[in-house]
Amino acid sequence: MSSNLSSKPNHPSSGTRGKVEIQGVSRHYPGAEKPAMLDVNLTIEPGEFVVIVGPSGCGKSTLLSMVAGLAKPDKGQVFLDGKLIKSPGPDRAMVFQEHGLFPWLTVTQNVEFGLKMAGVPPDQRREASRKALDLVHLSEHTEKFIHQLSGGMKQRVAIARCLVMDPAVLLMDEPFAALDAQTRTMLHEQMQELYVEMKKTVIFVTHSVAEAVRLADRIIVMHANPGRVRRDFRLNLPHPRDFDASDVAYYMKTVRKEIDDEVNAHAGASRRVSEGVGSYEI
Amino acid sequence: MKSEKLKRGLLVALVWVLIVAFWEGSYRIIEWKAYVFPAPSHILDSLLNLFGMKTWFGDPVWLVDAAGHSQAFQRDPQWPLHGQDLQVTGSIWNSQLLEAVGISLFRLLIGFSISLVLGLFIGLAMFRFKFIDALLGPVFLGLQTLPSVCWVPLAVLALGINETGILFVTVMGSFFSIAITLRDGLRLTPTIYRSAGLVFGAHGIKFYTQVMLPAGLPALASSLRSGFSFAWRSLMGGELIFVLKQEGVGHLLAVGREFGDVGQVVGVMFIMVLIGMAADRFIFAPLEKKVQSRFGLGG
Repeated sequence: MSSNLSSKPNHPSSGTRGKVEIQGVSRHYPGAEKPAMLDVNLTIEPGEFVVIVGPSGCGKSTLLSMVAGLAKPDKGQVFLDGKLIKSPGPDRAMVFQEHGLFPWLTVTQNVEFGLKMAGVPPDQRREASRKALDLVHLSEHTEKFIHQLSGGMKQRVAIARCLVMDPAVLLMDEPFAALDAQTRTMLHEQMQELYVEMKKTVIFVTHSVAEAVRLADRIIVMHANPGRVRRDFRLNLPHPRDFDASDVAYYMKTVRKEIDDEVNAHAGASRRVSEGVGSYEI
Repeated sequence: MKSEKLKRGLLVALVWVLIVAFWEGSYRIIEWKAYVFPAPSHILDSLLNLFGMKTWFGDPVWLVDAAGHSQAFQRDPQWPLHGQDLQVTGSIWNSQLLEAVGISLFRLLIGFSISLVLGLFIGLAMFRFKFIDALLGPVFLGLQTLPSVCWVPLAVLALGINETGILFVTVMGSFFSIAITLRDGLRLTPTIYRSAGLVFGAHGIKFYTQVMLPAGLPALASSLRSGFSFAWRSLMGGELIFVLKQEGVGHLLAVGREFGDVGQVVGVMFIMVLIGMAADRFIFAPLEKKVQSRFGLGG
């Protein structure tokens, strides 16, 4: 495994597709004292694996929804490759926390869903879904229904459903949060392999700093009340990472401590403020 | 596991046999007034009569006067049974009961179809458009609580004593519930299916046919199930009161009362329960279960 660490470039050559620009995005819910999100600016380069980490209520999932086109900012704009994002599109695919697979369809039909909507003929769809399911090591479960799969398998199907679309950006909203630790580690490894192979921009949201350090080229730390970007870390560790290799482990530990301190310091301060004012929580 | 289930089933059957035996036996011993409450043999007797068979569980079944009119209803509470068993007096297949069941099921089919179309259409509209929900939701919720026979007087006055009137009662008794159940079920449909559908390119009509419709299947199945039982109850209530040439199952109940044939009254009630249960058990419950297990809910 450790040989994998040496020679692979940190950013696989990814062409020019998949640049995401978030410019001055704010969101204010009517009646709320403070804005839910305040002036978030972020530029994500093509092929970058960006993990956004932060406490609940910091707006990290909302930010992802905005890139997906499912939510709109009250102020500011989000661009993909220079084009303003107004609605969902085939250039952005998303893995949801609760998988969001359709229980009335088989694994194959779920994976093919996006292509079917796009009007791709059945034989091409079948070919694409077969390839995608191979990539996530699920070629033996293609005719099963979703409820027959384990949690980890469901998320792999959800990833395959995104891969067939060949999107410019892969959006992942706490995709492994509901899984047990062992399955999660396995999926972290698979995710790394996939990332090296597909060379796509990935925006990955999580509340787990450990997960962020394992996967990211770049970690964006967000804080709540109002939601905003606090820190922007870069990790110069090649993919795929051997989580147990001593240099990787040391590096991860250092970065993780730094982020933990940052998160905890702010969480403590925020809690004190909220106790004083008594009107909002972290 | 399976043998345990079988054992329990056998035990239940045994206890029922004992209950019925005790019921019949105490009737034979105490000789209570048979026109107030029937013994099991009366019920069976009346049912077999409706099937076109004559029995000698009690004797005579009908007292007929010289002019050929039924005069009285009386049974001989003698035990054991008289020598003869069953005697078929007509074909079972064109017996009064089967004919009535056929008529009722035909009415049910039409009435239920109409209330299904109306209910699904309005339920969907209430889910989709807030204004329509605000306008109709409370009214439907209120009307859903109205016992369906309460529509009968209006049906009689507005539409007359005819098939249309009975259809009106059946539809009114069921379609509010179908609409409300569908709306509530759709509201419980996880929003993640919508998000996933939108992200993966389901737009316009495809969004409804490929995402919302299948996502709403569990809601649809439960609204079908409860809607059917409402329709059946309403139809029976309607038939009990409406006197039409085409005699349905509800009408047999009314006839039983008029002739003081308490055996027929309870027997027909039993048939009504049987039909309602059979439809639920063999059509609607399996449908609902199938959808739910596909969705990974229960089952």
